[in-house]
Amino acid sequence: MSTIRLNWGPQHPITGHLRFILDIDGDIIIRATPDIGYTHRGIEKLAEHRNYVQIIPLVERICNVDSFNVSLGYVSAVEEVLGIEPPVRARFIRVIMAELNRIMSHLYWFAIFGVAAGLFTLIMWPIADRELFIDLAEMVTGSRVTYTYFTPGGVYADLPEEFSKRTLKTLDYFEKRLKDYETIFLHNKLYQMRTVDVGILSFNDALERGVAGPSLRGSGAKIDVRQDEPYAAYDEVEFEVPAEKSGDSYARAKIRLSEMKQSIFIVRQALRQLPPGPVRVKVPSAVPEGEAYTRVESGRGELGCYLVSDGRTQPERLKLSTPSFRNVSALAHMLTGVKVADVPIIYHSMDIWPLDADR
Amino acid sequence: MALVSPRYDVERFGVLPLPSLRQCDLLIVLGLVTHKMAKRVKLIYQQMPDPKYVMAVGACAISGGLFWDSYNVVKGIDKVLPVDVYVPGCPARPEAFIQGIRLLQEKVKRGLSK
Amino acid sequence: MSLEVEAMIAKEIEAKFQGASIEAKVQRKRRITIEAGKEWIRDIANYMKERFDFALVISVSAIDLIREKQFAVVYHLWSPSYRILIALRTKVPKDSAELLSLTPLFESANWHEKEAHELCGVKFDGHPDLGRLLLPEDWSGGFPLRKEFKLLE
Repeated sequence: MSTIRLNWGPQHPITGHLRFILDIDGDIIIRATPDIGYTHRGIEKLAEHRNYVQIIPLVERICNVDSFNVSLGYVSAVEEVLGIEPPVRARFIRVIMAELNRIMSHLYWFAIFGVAAGLFTLIMWPIADRELFIDLAEMVTGSRVTYTYFTPGGVYADLPEEFSKRTLKTLDYFEKRLKDYETIFLHNKLYQMRTVDVGILSFNDALERGVAGPSLRGSGAKIDVRQDEPYAAYDEVEFEVPAEKSGDSYARAKIRLSEMKQSIFIVRQALRQLPPGPVRVKVPSAVPEGEAYTRVESGRGELGCYLVSDGRTQPERLKLSTPSFRNVSALAHMLTGVKVADVPIIYHSMDIWPLDADR
Repeated sequence: MALVSPRYDVERFGVLPLPSLRQCDLLIVLGLVTHKMAKRVKLIYQQMPDPKYVMAVGACAISGGLFWDSYNVVKGIDKVLPVDVYVPGCPARPEAFIQGIRLLQEKVKRGLSK
Repeated sequence: MSLEVEAMIAKEIEAKFQGASIEAKVQRKRRITIEAGKEWIRDIANYMKERFDFALVISVSAIDLIREKQFAVVYHLWSPSYRILIALRTKVPKDSAELLSLTPLFESANWHEKEAHELCGVKFDGHPDLGRLLLPEDWSGGFPLRKEFKLLE
């Protein structure tokens, strides 16, 4: 048996900055060794040299397309150590922005799937639709991505007046659009041929290897932080957590589409229930000694933020347990024994974001 | 990614992302470069045919940005490669990015790039 | 908010490992901290897994307590059945920072321990592969997450 060793990445349109060393025999992968760290910035070390507010933009850049969700984990941890709670209005705003971000993140995922599968419509449609949601975020925060909008104590500024109307209009449009996505992409023979029964991750493997997010739920484990331990205002809105049993790439894609539908549902409820009031509480100037571990459900999966304070202006330790890090370690196992042509699809279906994995 | 979207449509300026670097003449460094990645970026640049150009987009690519004091970040890609155009921002907006591309095209037209 | 379940779990684990200088405290809803000597960590984690379905290690953090000349090693374990997170803490001396790896019991601990080893220098005995993970291949700068490792000014 003679094997070829192939370097997949770190410069490749699908992997992002991440390398897999693939040992191939004929057409089958014998072994896949992940090589990460190409975007390792040492955010945890940098956090020990920044004050608590300066860390917010640092943490956000773990995942640029999903930064509301990611910063929420950190901001909630600081609030827990401070012993404060944001006002009700801020909690609802957080849910609204987090869910809009989830839609943006999943749309980006669909677009990159188009790049992976060579389906150009699947690149253009999601990227164009994502712009509408970026517009909404820009309306509120002034930025397209990486907003630095959530802060300990609440959110920086209230939603502008026209936000609600414009968001509902966008959601109405997008809801119809999702039906098209389903018909043209999910029910498409070409798409199914490339994803059904491809990259099967069993329930036990998914759980034991610490897989997170839609990739976990695609294998039948209905675990979602928003329902496990509701944060922000998630206990005040109703929603379902989609899960599938087949564990293949198709299941993971289906879940992401269903999650977008659920996000629309959540945002509508939150906008309806949005109470008046302040969006920020006063925050004590000193962070006391203490620690907190917060979990949030980001677009890619569960993000854990462990913050340890020893009473100084800079944290003693910030540890981020990111979904992509967890998913990449499972991927090495998933890629064994598969065909080379399926590798980009399987990799992509796990939604790995190298900046998230490396920090 | 937004640049190829219908809203910004960078293709109308004659810019098209291609999968093989042998077919490209512009290397866009979008974001930070770590020490681990720097070797590979150099390799990629060396494999591109002449004439070739480099754009540094975003504060991290220009100077290390938010991560300037990190132990694994190169303080600006111009420490590794010759840069023709710098586009500031964190992240750089698509409009600024397009302006950078137009600037580069002007430079090339006037024969001023390295 | 009732903390009955958390209190029950904390009490049972404490009672089971009485000789281990163990201390279990309920921090808030769904959060328990258990602190014990390093020789006991694997047995406690195993018991947590068998008895209360703490099947997942979702984070491993090494904290350089420079003044005490020790590392605090914190395992965060999650129980899908009880939906509770336990922070299992121990301390190891800095000049001989090692403890038994939990990877043979929890595959989910694998990469987290690997990272803690690479960035802090804590050794996990019995870990299948404590090699390079995040840092460049030719890295020789030491352990970045140790407090004495200085960043640029």
